[in-house]
Amino acid sequence: MIVFIARRLVISFFVLLAATVIMFVLTALSGDPLEDLRQDASPNKAAKIADRVERMQLDEPIPVRYLTWLGNVARGDLGVNRDGHDVATMLGEALSATLQLVIAATVMAIIIGIVIGIISALRQYSGFDYTVTFAAFVCFSLPIFWVAVMLKQYMAIEFNNWLKDPSIPPVVIGALALLSGLIFGALTVGDRKRRLLSFAAGLLIGGALFTLLSVTRWFADPGFGLPLILAISLAAAVGFTVLSAGLNPRGPLYAALGAALLGTVASEALSPLLADPTWLEIIGLALVTVAVCAGLGYALGGLQRRQAINAAVLTGLFTGGVVFVDRMLQAFNGYSERVRGRPISTIGARTPNFQGDFWQMNLDSAGHLLLPSMALILISLATYTRYSRASMLEVMNQDYVRTARAKGLPERTVVVKHAFRNGLIPVTTLMAVDFAGVIGGAVVTENVFGWQGMGNLFIEGLDTVDPTPVMAFFIVTGTAIVVFNMIADILYAYLDPRIRLS
Amino acid sequence: MTLNAQATGPDTASDAQGMTIVARTQGQMVRRRFFRHRAALAGMILFGFVVILAFSSIGFAGIPGWWDKTYLDTGALVNQGKPTLSVVPEFLGGDGIRLGEHPFGQDDIGIDYFALTMRGAQQSLIIAFLVGIVGTVVGTVVGAVAGYFRGGTESVLMRLTDVMITIPVLIIAAVIGRMMGDSGAVVLGVFLGLVLWPTLARLVRGEFLSLREKEFVEAARAVGTSARRIIFRHILPNTIGVIIVAATLSVASAVLLESALSFLGLGIQAPDTSLGQLISRYRSAMVVRPWLFWWPGLFIILIALSINFIGDGLRDAFDPRQTRVRA
Amino acid sequence: MTTPPNVPIEPHTVDPHTFDDPAVAAASGQILDSAEEVHVGLTLDAVRPPSQEEILRVENLTVEFPTEDGVVHAVRGVSYNLREREVLGIVGESGSGKSVSSLAVMGLLPRTARIKGRILFRGEDMLKMSARKQRGLRGRKIAMIFQDPMTALNPVHTIGDQLAEAVLAHELMPRKTALARAREMLDLVGIPQAETRLRSYPHEFSGGMRQRAMIAMAVINNPDVIIADEPTTALDVTVQAQILEKLLEVKDAVNAAIVLITHDLGVIAGMAHRVLVMYAGRPVELGETDPVFEEPRMPYTAGLLGSIPSLEGGGATRLRPIKGTPPSLINLPSGCPFSPRCPLATDICRTEEPPLAETDSGGHFAACHHWDKLAAAEDPTEFFRTESETVA
Ligand SMILES: Nc1ncnc2c1ncn2[C@@H]1O[C@H](COP(=O)(O)OP(=O)(O)OP(=O)(O)O)[C@@H](O)[C@H]1O
Ligand code: SF4
Ligand SMILES: [Mg+2]
Repeated sequence: MIVFIARRLVISFFVLLAATVIMFVLTALSGDPLEDLRQDASPNKAAKIADRVERMQLDEPIPVRYLTWLGNVARGDLGVNRDGHDVATMLGEALSATLQLVIAATVMAIIIGIVIGIISALRQYSGFDYTVTFAAFVCFSLPIFWVAVMLKQYMAIEFNNWLKDPSIPPVVIGALALLSGLIFGALTVGDRKRRLLSFAAGLLIGGALFTLLSVTRWFADPGFGLPLILAISLAAAVGFTVLSAGLNPRGPLYAALGAALLGTVASEALSPLLADPTWLEIIGLALVTVAVCAGLGYALGGLQRRQAINAAVLTGLFTGGVVFVDRMLQAFNGYSERVRGRPISTIGARTPNFQGDFWQMNLDSAGHLLLPSMALILISLATYTRYSRASMLEVMNQDYVRTARAKGLPERTVVVKHAFRNGLIPVTTLMAVDFAGVIGGAVVTENVFGWQGMGNLFIEGLDTVDPTPVMAFFIVTGTAIVVFNMIADILYAYLDPRIRLS
Repeated sequence: MTLNAQATGPDTASDAQGMTIVARTQGQMVRRRFFRHRAALAGMILFGFVVILAFSSIGFAGIPGWWDKTYLDTGALVNQGKPTLSVVPEFLGGDGIRLGEHPFGQDDIGIDYFALTMRGAQQSLIIAFLVGIVGTVVGTVVGAVAGYFRGGTESVLMRLTDVMITIPVLIIAAVIGRMMGDSGAVVLGVFLGLVLWPTLARLVRGEFLSLREKEFVEAARAVGTSARRIIFRHILPNTIGVIIVAATLSVASAVLLESALSFLGLGIQAPDTSLGQLISRYRSAMVVRPWLFWWPGLFIILIALSINFIGDGLRDAFDPRQTRVRA
Repeated sequence: MTTPPNVPIEPHTVDPHTFDDPAVAAASGQILDSAEEVHVGLTLDAVRPPSQEEILRVENLTVEFPTEDGVVHAVRGVSYNLREREVLGIVGESGSGKSVSSLAVMGLLPRTARIKGRILFRGEDMLKMSARKQRGLRGRKIAMIFQDPMTALNPVHTIGDQLAEAVLAHELMPRKTALARAREMLDLVGIPQAETRLRSYPHEFSGGMRQRAMIAMAVINNPDVIIADEPTTALDVTVQAQILEKLLEVKDAVNAAIVLITHDLGVIAGMAHRVLVMYAGRPVELGETDPVFEEPRMPYTAGLLGSIPSLEGGGATRLRPIKGTPPSLINLPSGCPFSPRCPLATDICRTEEPPLAETDSGGHFAACHHWDKLAAAEDPTEFFRTESETVA
């Protein structure tokens, strides 16, 4: 395995190296780097030109320039742009913003896409399936920049305005309730009566929920509160148990319920720590959660120990997630006031000079990330949905799924154990390809939302026919793509024993 | 499309396994399945409509069209340049169904926006098709040669593909756009096509690798058929489905790519225009003249969506396995 | 489209004279011969005989699939019963509904299938059972072995896991115990080093070993019925014999009855107590194996027997294939579905579909208006004589 990864890394390195040649040469050939100076009317025009020719080595042939650049990079020097600014410094600011955006979008697209795709496959020919399929096609056909501009104009501005008085008009409540009814109905397979019942249930639940949210002006000062956290996590415990073990015998169920209870109580007990934690502490807490829940599953699992551990750990982590979101929501009011009631931002990657506690800082990046990732995610989301749906449908028709059913396994086990894992295998290969697409999309999205990110570096570099910033962009994104490929490969090998050996 | 050649293909045999076999040629089956795909049919009609509208309205290549305004001439602003198109009939309280003077409105200097949008659509379509055609041809040839010959040739070609594929599509396209954007739609389209073939090459190579092991190819090789003949007469017809589908979908993504490039200022340069360039040009007018933003966006979506639907119909038609359930 | 059974590996010494002299028993004689080609050791006579207790009864089973092209009538009124320890062979051309009818018994047909009739397991109708109860029988009381062992095992889980899971699906017990049982089963089906093989993945097994593993999986819960759907078609000839022998041996070990689906008449002749012949979704002949093969009472069966390459004849002239193709299951011809291809067809055949009725000997059923003509003929395959033969 390690040899396999090492070999892949070496190959990727050379492939990337070869790609830098292409990028460098094409960029250098893409226009006239002196264009702006030729129309310059100032008296020191000649000096300026000489200066730039000297700095960009324009008197040398392109291969020489490339080699010089490569030599510098090998020594860790990314060079200066045509105006003499240090590219590494420019990169430093851009890097974290862009990576945040790209990774957030990719992770969200993968998780949401796979979940929707699988549900859609398992509910083939249902209303939900048709809707998802159609929506995916629309997403494939939407230009990112157009969506981004629309989101910026309508979502952000309108939403922020609405937050000033967050009551939902009855018409909107009705529409939302209708929507939730339709979703419930579409997810149900069976005869018309069952579908109508689900529809009615969805309608009522949706209507009640949004009315409640509106009347209590929840959006002005959101949050869950302890009872709701408990309720959500207990429900999740049941859900995870059903998925991983089934409700009989009770062992796994008790383990999962215990995990939910313990998590909720712990969140209250740890209140002082959670007031202003660091990321390190959060990760630590997550690890502790995993350990404790695994122990719980081990102790209570009985004959179904493995399944119990799975259910308990998933429940524990989920409860942690709910607590995390709750804290973020609690911080919302304070944050919103500090940014003059406009929490959804349309410009830049962060509010300039904003300082707050952990939760407020997170809210600040979330508020800035929200719209760009929404625009960026569309195509990837559609791709993952379509892909995992197709893959799942294919797997569900495989002989070994029929074998699993022939053994008398419950449908849950057939899907979770036999179909799901096989269905994920082709999806991992998509990850690598899609990531490159997301980077391209990020360039466009950043442009719309005025981020001073990597995309900006690239576009300005290209505009001024200046290879150094373009190449800096390319090295960073290229490396990111290689790393992401690696992750996909490892995941693939983990999922599919057939390639572990070779 | 010499689809009949497919009858000898490997798919027919495997299809027969679980399905009732109805004796039809592959070509007929494909056509039948395609025309039964309602979304694909709708996509086809929509797409035809857009193409005809774009090219017939303002004319093309010196041939005049039926629309009396051009995309270059300015005019007096009528009603602040608002669109005069109305689709709500009078008895429903609307203004009746009519085109009016400027159905899509006018821009800030009074250019007829319908003519402008049509010009943009023409340019975008030309680029997208050239990208699709050139990319498909290059990708198919590279993939076919690599997949058939294996050995050294394959190594070189596939390493080249690996290298090209490392560069995100938008990035390499942006560089090409910067280079060729002011040379017009045709040149831009061809050059974009020349760098956007690697995905298809991989796909075709994969198909070739599996097909070249099949009995009918072995048989052809055994009786001494030349490599060129095997590639073009025996293997290629069997991959045609995959290629056609990929080519169709690549046209759809090329429409989006071109518009993104133009939006970034790296595609077609003013005064000529494309759909993406229009959105970019009138980006700041969003609040005052939102229609300048809506129309080109609408056309991009219409074109991309209809081609995507056609592609999906073709995929179903060529490879029905995905959609059918086997016992 | 019947696959020729067991192509002989070594050409037999041929007596050219037997070729011109087709004896009545020739067909079945050859078949039994070829069956011996397959069965190196164990034959039916050596295994425990069936008891009189009926465990499975299928009554008037019909299965339809609504598709884009129309309704596929895949199974049209199949009835049979199965006694304890009995081996029932099902033969028929590709698409005649063999697999679909068995999948219906297993409850494994896609949701779109419309199933009618009764499937009684020990007197209880499985089609009327709750899904939960049906699942309880599946894999525990009725197990299935599929055609292609290459795809029937899940590539991402170990053999041991997939075997143990079959036990755990029906019985709550420690994993260790289930794995021990899995090991025992691998031993039983003759996989060496069972202990280490438990940890192997399917791709590390050869085709024959995978099919053995499938057999192990089928018998791990001591089922009453094993449905084997062409268990050896995907394997090479030498392995086929071993697998079939193993199947018989294992059946005895767990006291199960077998429904054996195959294209290979030789296998049926050597392994099945009774045989059911299917054509276009219908049972067309049913009876004890020997009478059916020696004195077929339905032209289709006779045709099948005639289309087997003879071991002695060797030459292609002896083959008497059935001309034409099976009918579309969407637009069935009126009358007997075999009539377009039947050399004995008369007007009544084209208008009236013959029912499956008892013929001259007891327990031998056939669906043919003119079975008496077959009974009268010396060589029942003679009706399928090819033109060249008639000329000569
Ligand atoms: N899910 C399905 N939808 C539509 N038709 C189906 C489906 N499953 C099976 N069929 C049809 O039912 C008929 C009977 O198929 P079945 O698999 O039972 O044949 P078989 O006798 O097992 O043939 P083989 O010897 O090739 O295995 C075939 O014509 C097949 O096309
Ligand atoms: S009923 Fe008639 S057509 Fe059918 S098998 Fe008998 S003789 Fe032939
Ligand atoms: Mg079958």
